[in-house]
Amino acid sequence: MRIGTIIVQILFIHLFLFLAIALKQLFAIPLPASIIGLVLLFLALVLKIVKLEWVEKGANWLMAELLLFFIPSAVGIVNYNEIASWQGVQIVIIIGISTFIVMSLTAFIADWIEKKGVHVE
Amino acid sequence: MTILLATVMTYLFYRLTKQLNKKITFPLFHPLLLTPILIILVITLFNIPAAKYMDGAAFLTHMLGPATIAFAIPIYKHLALLKKHLSLIMISITAGSLIAIFTSYGLSMLLHIDRNFLISVLPRSITTPIAMEISKDIGGLPTLTTVFVIITGIVGGVMGPAVIKRFAITSPIAQGLALGMSAHGVGTNKAMDYGEQATTFSTLAMILAATITIVLGKFLIPTLVAFI
Repeated sequence: MRIGTIIVQILFIHLFLFLAIALKQLFAIPLPASIIGLVLLFLALVLKIVKLEWVEKGANWLMAELLLFFIPSAVGIVNYNEIASWQGVQIVIIIGISTFIVMSLTAFIADWIEKKGVHVE
Repeated sequence: MTILLATVMTYLFYRLTKQLNKKITFPLFHPLLLTPILIILVITLFNIPAAKYMDGAAFLTHMLGPATIAFAIPIYKHLALLKKHLSLIMISITAGSLIAIFTSYGLSMLLHIDRNFLISVLPRSITTPIAMEISKDIGGLPTLTTVFVIITGIVGGVMGPAVIKRFAITSPIAQGLALGMSAHGVGTNKAMDYGEQATTFSTLAMILAATITIVLGKFLIPTLVAFI
């Protein structure tokens, strides 16, 4: 059962989330629990504590449907009346221009370094 | 609004817009733009406050945690690639993070954006949870930052394929780094259309950008904020 496998694997991935939350509390780590969990799962895979096939199907589903999980927060935009003002319009334009510059320059820099073949090992 | 109703409604609208987006590739049909608009229409029609809907759909928001953790898999699978291109990634993403902060700051200063908005927009190019933490640290409003992060994601997701096509970015490394740097998780989701290698580099870009911005949030950003 494909859906069953996905659900079980997502539950398994939750173990890393709970472990991360515990570690964050215990050592007051200034990172979000999800990023700590990512590092934990990565280490578990590298150290062969967890096999790739235990998590891969669930993880692929989560990554493919990521946008779904952003939607409730996006709906929350209506709570900000300020966005529907001239300031709000300006800031959206600023974000658009800035994102465009970041995207194209990052691509150009990466492309340029890759073509030059600079590899500092 | 009940959890089941909010979750099912969100899922159905999401599926619908995703399907529509596949058939008609029109940028404004992006699921992260069209789905919220449809939901806002429905809850307005039935007089449901947005906060009630968001409480109901909290389960979906919760799934962002495991979804972020899931990105450990592409990194693990392409570890050799990461090691090989470590300096390329470091340089591109350090530059990208600085460009994100300076262009947001410069343009906002130029247009005399209100102080709260200006500070809250500075960490907009990174993943939501970390952006909120940094926003709190530098004296911004974390919830407002979340809004700017989402707008960044929508804009980046919509513009990504056009930029990649227009500037003929053919290397999956450059594609991935650019998408993850400029549009965090939403960009990384888009990177999946360009293959597993692009997804990996996008994930790495997203994580590294967040880490670098944490450091900049302690040193560079407070200095910038002092000039407002």
